[in-house]
Amino acid sequence: MRKVIGFLLVSVLTSLAWAGPGDNSLIVATSQEPPVVMGDFLNILNNQAIKAEMQVYLFTGIYRVDIGGNNVPGVVTEVATEENGRLRFEDIGDGEQRLEIDLTLRDDVYWSDGTPITTDDVAFYFEVGKAPGMPTLAPDYWERIDLAVQDDRNFTVTFEPAQYVDLIGAPISYAPAHVMREEWDETLAAVEALDLETEADRVEELYRGFFSEFASPSAINAGRMVYSGAFQIDRWNTGSSLVMSRNPNFFNHPENQDAYAQRVEYQFIEDTNSLLVAVIGGAVDATSAVGITFDAAISPQVARRAEGRFNLWFVPTAIWEHLDINKFENVQTVADLGLADIRTRQAILHALDRQGLVDELFDGLQPVSHTWVNPQHPFYYEDVPQYEHNPERARELLAEMGWEPGADGILEREVDGRTVRFELEFVTTAGAAPRERAQQFMADDLRQVGIDVNINNAPSGVVFSGEYFSRAYEGSWTGMFMFAWISSFQESGDLWACDFIPTPENNFTGQNIGNWCNEEFDAIREQALITFDLEQVAQDFEELQTIWANELPALPLYFRSTPYAVRQGLVNYVANTYVNGNGYPPVEPELVGWSQNGAEMVYDQADYALEFD
Amino acid sequence: MFNYIVRRLLQAVPLLFLASVVIYSLVALQPGDPLDDIIRENPRLTQEQIAQLRRAHGLDQPIYVRYFRWLGRAVRGDLGRSRTRGVPAFDFIFRDRLPNTLILTVISLVIALAVAIPVGVYSAVRQYSKLDYLVTFMAFVGFSTPVFFLGIMLLYLFVVLLPESFGLPRFPVTGFPGISWADVQTGRITALGFFGQWAWHLILPVFTLSAISMASWTRFMRSSFLEVINQDYIRTARSKGLGEQKVRYKHALRNSLIPIVTLVGLSLPSLFNGAVITETIFSYPGMGRAIIDSLTRKDYNVAMTALLFLAVLTVLSNLLADIVYGLVDPRIRYN
Repeated sequence: MRKVIGFLLVSVLTSLAWAGPGDNSLIVATSQEPPVVMGDFLNILNNQAIKAEMQVYLFTGIYRVDIGGNNVPGVVTEVATEENGRLRFEDIGDGEQRLEIDLTLRDDVYWSDGTPITTDDVAFYFEVGKAPGMPTLAPDYWERIDLAVQDDRNFTVTFEPAQYVDLIGAPISYAPAHVMREEWDETLAAVEALDLETEADRVEELYRGFFSEFASPSAINAGRMVYSGAFQIDRWNTGSSLVMSRNPNFFNHPENQDAYAQRVEYQFIEDTNSLLVAVIGGAVDATSAVGITFDAAISPQVARRAEGRFNLWFVPTAIWEHLDINKFENVQTVADLGLADIRTRQAILHALDRQGLVDELFDGLQPVSHTWVNPQHPFYYEDVPQYEHNPERARELLAEMGWEPGADGILEREVDGRTVRFELEFVTTAGAAPRERAQQFMADDLRQVGIDVNINNAPSGVVFSGEYFSRAYEGSWTGMFMFAWISSFQESGDLWACDFIPTPENNFTGQNIGNWCNEEFDAIREQALITFDLEQVAQDFEELQTIWANELPALPLYFRSTPYAVRQGLVNYVANTYVNGNGYPPVEPELVGWSQNGAEMVYDQADYALEFD
Repeated sequence: MFNYIVRRLLQAVPLLFLASVVIYSLVALQPGDPLDDIIRENPRLTQEQIAQLRRAHGLDQPIYVRYFRWLGRAVRGDLGRSRTRGVPAFDFIFRDRLPNTLILTVISLVIALAVAIPVGVYSAVRQYSKLDYLVTFMAFVGFSTPVFFLGIMLLYLFVVLLPESFGLPRFPVTGFPGISWADVQTGRITALGFFGQWAWHLILPVFTLSAISMASWTRFMRSSFLEVINQDYIRTARSKGLGEQKVRYKHALRNSLIPIVTLVGLSLPSLFNGAVITETIFSYPGMGRAIIDSLTRKDYNVAMTALLFLAVLTVLSNLLADIVYGLVDPRIRYN
């Protein structure tokens, strides 16, 4: 009996495997477990952030996006430019162009099973994306793209009509044809036996089944998937962890690769309090982009234990918190309050102490925004008009519109013989504590200038449902709506396009939910879209942001920061707003390691983040 | 008896049909649909493209059409695939999640009973002793402590405080070791290692889950035992010279267990529901989290499979209870 107990104890203690520098591994804690990875390469099953983050280790794209947000070659020899003759434009009339991009795969790139990565893999990706009835998330992309393969290494991607966003990030991707082709042919045969119109749901289910055959935990553990990143999956312990080790066939390991982390383990700890315990208890080496909450990261419990053990970094992201404003004047409240009048929106923004808000609630670690474009984006305009906290100016602007303080200090004015009080509905997602606190802060600011706020929050499932979110025209929400957009790396200004205002005429399609249409803005945006000189596009965006900031279709608040707890000694576990296209760490997974073991620091998180004192 | 069971099973069919209608309607009538997020993330989607996506997800049809389509496939044994995982919903619930839940809940139940019964009896036998007061105090602490608080405090104690202060081994933050018996069969881990890992990971979640039941069942056991021990037939047994041990543990204990058996019986369906809070705190992949996740992610096939399984279970456990009543009480006749 003693022997059995002893054995059990040894088993238990060995399970506490000495993590971190001791065994040259990295344990990353995340609060989400992706249901699938890798094989679902079109994101048909899932497009969660955590999936994209883990794939940074497992897959090397055609291009990579470096720490500065620039395209750099991934599995191709070089990034296509006009200078190297790999980009060609052809006029196809109506001011539109066809774009051809010539690319060459490196001759030393292999899947983890040793099979060379060839144009067959690119063609396979293209074929699956173009398959009949494939419910892709970006159908417009698949409608404009074409592919021509010259040989095993060379291929040409064509966009028609082309847009400048086609030059941002990789123009196409690839998938392992040698492992997925057979299953795909069977799936396609089954799809072809169905009616795409009447049996679209059956078609979609067949496709989902196909992807899960190479993406589910059981498929991954059965070794059905291969990898082209610096790491490969050894084992996916569903509900617990996912363990990766170095991919021996990766082309870009550092010369002294033994000095760098040999094993990466993602631990799935869904409850954020439990995750916090794991961090302060030292059970993990770093947190994922989907890790500790902002509130937890700035809590005294964490800060007290951080000294000498781990760094707390706050990396500004592309997640843009803002106030959308209902400007549909057919809605009585909107018309009464004059929300479609630029002066009203300017007054509200002047009334808000946004810097005070981020200082008070977020220790100044989430930067105030002045436009929807992120300051890290190459199209960001530094001199965009800004609205400082100026309650006096807010009162002046409101007075110009006939608002005068009533007996209780709340503004009133006469509209069509009626006395209207300035009572503004303020909606956000119920249960999102940082937003609700910010909402209270702003409500207080607004009361200072005589605007009474009527808080009307609801769960995210309600406020983001199509019946609510897109129905401002019908008065589903009548005032301000606080939520976040992602300020995309492939920024196109589409959010503010006149064509994308949801109304009954277009069956409430589009994201310009507040109803702002500026013809000048629209014309510049459309022209920029078919301009391929990115410096010119940046200039166009200066104009776009100036118009936008003058008219304020929405009120910019701040960009969210993602907190990371990183154990001291861990190097190159670095994130930035647009690194890898989506901002997830690490910038180059092959370089993650421990300085104690000789890993050399190439990227310093201090250059790209704010540190919590 | 046979006719009774067949009749009850036949009666269950319309009941389950009704349950499936209600469950499907509630799931489908939640605000929003699975496409809301996709549409919001791509401002360039046109009306036609959105319509195509709706067709692909089967959302272009009214709820009743979608329900009967689902029902038509379900009665043929096809419960559809998980929207977010791509795997068959049946496999996900019955292969991936239910066994995990049963491991956690059954062990917790057994431990809770193993502690509650002797402690309750001991507390009753030593009524108003210091130990009785201590047990009573602990029981009140136990059932007035919220599960989420207890779980987090245990984690803090065994993952942070004790390892830091006394150098004790750090308990795992997650309650699930992520290994299966297949790993033993493939030689990835030894059988003893397998059980060791499971035991090590399960200590905290099992304690958290069993502590609450333990606390209340101890109190029930104590009061039940006290009630029985003061009955006339116990006094008669004593007056006839029966030894105190025999009186307590042969006569009193068996009779005092009846309310506990009822309580345990009532908690049986919850063995399959999972324990959402405990599962969440300890990142344990059980039924509770599966149901909540499927509802929040609008994974209808998984939600329907799990909830309908619980409906079937409720019907069957009612039937089982009625049958057992008959076996226990000969005055009950099935007709």
